Amino acid sequence: MHTVVDLITLANEYLGTDLEPADAERDLAELACWDSVYLLRLVTLLERELGRPVSVADMLEARTLGDIWTAAVGP
Amino acid sequence: MSGRPEAQQDVRALYDTGSLAGAYPRLPALLARLDDDGLDSAGRLLARLDPADVLAAHPDTSAVRIAVTGRSTTAGLLPALTVQLARHGLLLIGHTGGSGSYVQDLADPASELYAHRPELTLCVLDPLTVWDRVPSPWQPYDVALEAERQRLLLAELAGAHAAHAPAGATLVLNTLPLLRRFTHQQTGLLQRAELGALWREFNADLLRMADPAAGIAVLDLEPLTAAGVRADDPRLGAYADAHCSAALLASYAREAAHLARALRGDTKKCLVLDLDGTLWDGILAEDGPARVRGATSLRAGAFGAFRRTVEQLASQGVLLAVCSKNDPEPVARALAAHPDWPLSADDFVSIVADWGSKAEGVAQIAAGLGIAPSAVVFADDSLFERESVRATAPGAAVVELDAEPALHSEHLLADGWFDVPSVTEEDRGRAERYRERQRRERRQAGAKDYDSFLRDLGIEVAVAPAESHHIARIAQLSLRTNRFNLTGERLGAAQIERMAADPDTLVLAVRAADRYGDDGIVGALFGHRDAAGLHLANMVISCRVLGRGIEDAVLDGLLHAAVDAGLPAVHAQWRPAAANAAVRGFCPAHGFRAVAVPGKQGDGVRYRHTLADLRPVPAHVRLRLRLSPTEPVLEPQEVEECTPSSI
Repeated sequence: MHTVVDLITLANEYLGTDLEPADAERDLAELACWDSVYLLRLVTLLERELGRPVSVADMLEARTLGDIWTAAVGP
Repeated sequence: MSGRPEAQQDVRALYDTGSLAGAYPRLPALLARLDDDGLDSAGRLLARLDPADVLAAHPDTSAVRIAVTGRSTTAGLLPALTVQLARHGLLLIGHTGGSGSYVQDLADPASELYAHRPELTLCVLDPLTVWDRVPSPWQPYDVALEAERQRLLLAELAGAHAAHAPAGATLVLNTLPLLRRFTHQQTGLLQRAELGALWREFNADLLRMADPAAGIAVLDLEPLTAAGVRADDPRLGAYADAHCSAALLASYAREAAHLARALRGDTKKCLVLDLDGTLWDGILAEDGPARVRGATSLRAGAFGAFRRTVEQLASQGVLLAVCSKNDPEPVARALAAHPDWPLSADDFVSIVADWGSKAEGVAQIAAGLGIAPSAVVFADDSLFERESVRATAPGAAVVELDAEPALHSEHLLADGWFDVPSVTEEDRGRAERYRERQRRERRQAGAKDYDSFLRDLGIEVAVAPAESHHIARIAQLSLRTNRFNLTGERLGAAQIERMAADPDTLVLAVRAADRYGDDGIVGALFGHRDAAGLHLANMVISCRVLGRGIEDAVLDGLLHAAVDAGLPAVHAQWRPAAANAAVRGFCPAHGFRAVAVPGKQGDGVRYRHTLADLRPVPAHVRLRLRLSPTEPVLEPQEVEECTPSSI
């Protein structure tokens, strides 16, 4: 997990989404394949991948995949 | 070589190329190779499919209409449910309500939930149910009060569901996991114990609400959490109103899919077991019959526990068979009764011990029992044997056992293959009836001709209005009978109970017995009477008794009874269903004439019998038939005077 692209790859592999790197900064509401339920699943996946807890409250406030990346992995 | 990543890639590739709907019938085989993560991912892809596309590509796909509601966010359940149903060849047509709207969804007859016309309604009760209404600070007494209010609310909602959901629909409730972060808010150990006890009483009350005939099922979540599934994630609960963990929802979906399958009557009938490494430790061909029982090995106890699991399934009607690559004689010796052996040769209705392929062995066992290979569960510790059966026995369930016998029982029971809404007396005696059938067949082989064999059987058939203790068995016959099912219509216990209670409707139970034993309830007739005569809505007869003239005697007897009751005609119908092509000619063979129904082309055939010219009841059957409790019995003497007919 080095960049937001890794996060997108993780989502595509486990959530069945078809996100592109260019989607990183788009509002989640604009992403046709995104569903708010995915975020809950992503919490578990990210924690397993990173081997440490992430801030769920911050992730839930994220508006873009870039925000999620920042909340989970940090800048 | 698990093949798992490959199967996962296959599902993704099918999705990416837009061929997932077209490949739907292949999914059970593909999904059988996925672990929990793989299923989770596949479920999200499948949930994006439009069920209409699947049905357009494969109109015969079994679709299940399910509505999901709950006390908190339940949208996460749909992908898991989609994939769990797909594993069993079922297609989800799902609806999920808003967050936390279960009271309104269930209480309001005009809700979207009822507009969906669900056959199964999942009301997901998360671990915060009850607690969200307990005032703070609280004593166990406050919890008891809210728990009782919740129970009363659920009973009311169950009543509303019974009134507003389609006939035969089932409402699914669940027990509530008790979270440590609540129990340990009580610092007094005595009060904590009191809370634990009252919570268990609440869950026990919920479980006692289960009633297949009333359309209520209750999933017990405690065995799931006891097996290590964490019930909730407090963070997701606090920030997203999602009070069940993803793992709990996935396990819930797994159980719900088994329930949907059981309610459909899609229950496996026979368990085919390997021997070496499955039922006993060691290799028979190398160790010999005396040593394979493994009485001296540390693992013997684990195998013994597995055999007791198998014995327990058998006691409820699961037919047991052996398929083993071995010589028959040592197998017979090893299976012969031993003091420490929970299963003996007599417990198996079929034993195939040879060096042929297990795929052929499974086919041979199914053919011998008169069941489809898809009604078989095959359990083996060898990957090669499992793959051979998977490849050649379509629809058979394959249970993956491994080198650890202590886990055999969990693997076998993971998918609830033998689950039924309620075990009946007929189920408990099934193995014995198959043995009776085998004795009958041996006698038939020895008889000079089939007619004299039939005459010699002493078949007695009783047809009479169903009594309440027959309902579960008749529902089972209606749900599971494919071959002799005139219209393919399936009725659950609740619908049958309602029909049986309606004086204008007819539910007749067919009992059969012969010199080899009592077959119990083997069939049913559904219909109603009006000024135009008797309308036979459907007739089902268990394939177990076909070929003995029982079905002919029942229909002939019904026609005679209609004459005695002064009815002007008997109406019947045949509609094409999964496997009932063979009974297309049944009504015409008994003197029914097809009636033209405009605009009903392709929807089967309607028939009418004017009762002018009746066939005699086959003379080898002693028939007692009565249409209603008050009407006189059609006595056997009346029919025995008739000329024998050929069958």
